[in-house]
Amino acid sequence: MSEIIVLDDVYDAVILIRKILSKKGHNVHTFTEEEEAVDFVRTHPVDLAILDIKLKKMSGIEVLAQMKKIAPGMRAIMLTGYPTVETAREAISLGANEYCVKPIDKNELEEKVSKVLGGDES
Amino acid sequence: MQNDMTAVAEQNRERGYLEIFQEVTRLISMVLDPQQVMDLVVRRLPELLEVDAATIRLLDAGTNTFVLGAAHGLSDQYLSRGGIDTRETMDMLMKGRPVAKTGVDVDPLYQHSAEAAREGIKSVLSLPIIFQGHIIGIMRLLTRKTRSFTPMEISFSMTLAEQIGVAISNGRLFKEMENQVDFLKEVHEISRLINSTLDLNIILQTIVDKLPKIMGMKACTIRLLQPETNQLELAAASGLSPEYLKRGSIRREDSIFQALKGEPVAVYDAPNDPRVQYHDAIRSEGIKSILAVPIKKGREIIGVMRLLTTEYHCFTASEVTFATAVAEESGSAILNALTFQKINLLFNQIEENERFLQAIMDALQDRIVVVDGKKHVVMVNRKFLQQENLAEKALLGRPYDLIIPWKIEGRQCPVGKVLATGKMCARTDHLTVNGHAQWLERSVFPIFDNEGRVEYAVETVRDITSQKSLEQEKIEREKLAGVLETAGTVAHELNSPLFAALGTAQLLRDDLEKEEQRQEMDIILRNMQSMAELTKKMAAMTGFASKEYVGDTKIIEFH
Repeated sequence: MSEIIVLDDVYDAVILIRKILSKKGHNVHTFTEEEEAVDFVRTHPVDLAILDIKLKKMSGIEVLAQMKKIAPGMRAIMLTGYPTVETAREAISLGANEYCVKPIDKNELEEKVSKVLGGDES
Repeated sequence: MQNDMTAVAEQNRERGYLEIFQEVTRLISMVLDPQQVMDLVVRRLPELLEVDAATIRLLDAGTNTFVLGAAHGLSDQYLSRGGIDTRETMDMLMKGRPVAKTGVDVDPLYQHSAEAAREGIKSVLSLPIIFQGHIIGIMRLLTRKTRSFTPMEISFSMTLAEQIGVAISNGRLFKEMENQVDFLKEVHEISRLINSTLDLNIILQTIVDKLPKIMGMKACTIRLLQPETNQLELAAASGLSPEYLKRGSIRREDSIFQALKGEPVAVYDAPNDPRVQYHDAIRSEGIKSILAVPIKKGREIIGVMRLLTTEYHCFTASEVTFATAVAEESGSAILNALTFQKINLLFNQIEENERFLQAIMDALQDRIVVVDGKKHVVMVNRKFLQQENLAEKALLGRPYDLIIPWKIEGRQCPVGKVLATGKMCARTDHLTVNGHAQWLERSVFPIFDNEGRVEYAVETVRDITSQKSLEQEKIEREKLAGVLETAGTVAHELNSPLFAALGTAQLLRDDLEKEEQRQEMDIILRNMQSMAELTKKMAAMTGFASKEYVGDTKIIEFH
């Protein structure tokens, strides 16, 4: 069981991810506000952050940068509805483990999460 | 007896005089050249009159001085002593009276007594040579023994001198007439030569080459007044060394001054005459006499011509007249040539300007056509000829409408409009030439004549097809960027809700127990996945094609 946070400006999306990953036994915390998510990382141990790139105030890349400063060992999966080479390169350079394009399939999500967390375990 | 002897001696002397007179008359009737008359007289007279030497000097009307004509029995040194006799003697001679003197070698009043002593001269009889009441010269008879000339001898010598005067004058007259005939021929020849060309240098060189040869002189120069500075400048010369010609300005010389006033000036003794300068240069060049005549065109004096001799020369009236006539003839030819030069210069300038204008027009990369009021082509530039692959000859004078490749049927011609209204016109035409679309920017400007009528129209045509294509491409690029941005935004906005809906539906399907419900849920999932495919395509698109839809509406097909 892992501690996972999900940040997306679309509320339904974070609910869905929580449902899918909770069923896999993970402890999922959902956010639609960037500051709240960053604060959570500051105060709780987090194994994996699933971040949308398009957020309300900041970009997912900026949020990732802040979180990595607080918790360098934290894993991250970036989600985007509009992939660009630039955002992908930046996300990877900031330490993101996966870069997924929405709409992501339930099974694909489960696989990616398992792979990223598994990598941690290995 | 004594009386008888005296009478016989007298008779003999008179017979002797008669014989001498006859001999002199015979001699001088044999020759016509005045120089020959003088030479003959001075050579033969001493023997006949029992004197040791004789000289004849002629009056130079130009300077009112006597110049040596001929001499016999005297050294050159004595002859070149300067003055001839005392002022009293010269005054007497000018009054037509003979003067007999003895003891000239010791006479303290005679300024050349030393020279006379050196030469051994003791007595001198000076006689005026008179012709028609005018003194034309003097004859001097000199002895090395003291001799008193008797009144009879003096009277006889006066008669001889008069006879010589007649002979010299006749000879001069004959020579003059002969010269005048020759000169007339030569004036005609020179006139023919200098009027057969308009080349100023050829005219001037012909004169300076021909004239001294005809007149038997050494050299000739022509100086012309420069209109800009009003200074005389050497224009042509013959028979003179470069050093002499470069001796300096002669504009302050009296001879030039006089000639510029329109009067001919004859200088007998150029090495000493104050009316000319640079005596040293004159001496080393060997020049003795100079004749300067004005070069006139009508009343205007345009220059000075000078003739120079290497022997002392007394310029005769006919020589002066001849030189003046040639100078006058030259005046018209020179002026004609100068006018021709000016016209030529102007013509060259006009040609140069035309070439410059053409060069500017040819350097321009726009095509230029100039038409006259009748809309006929009068000028095109190189770019036009190159573009149309035509020769200029094939275009000039032809109607504009027949030669231009950018005519559009049904549209008013801007050139015609400018010719009609006098107002400039600019427009952009889109036309198809040989199957290719072309954009031309055409500007037409009027050129007015002095009365304000449109005389010409100038059309410049710039091919802006590439510019237009670039603009078109830019628009297409901007349109594509806009579409891509829109598609990306739409895909992104759709993807999050689609992700939530699709994921939730998948979770729900797992909870469904009835097969029929699961099949229905699959229909929902399949369609949502089609939508997901579409948003993926939208996010990944790089180009599109517009497709006709209904009416004016178009839809996009992604690539």
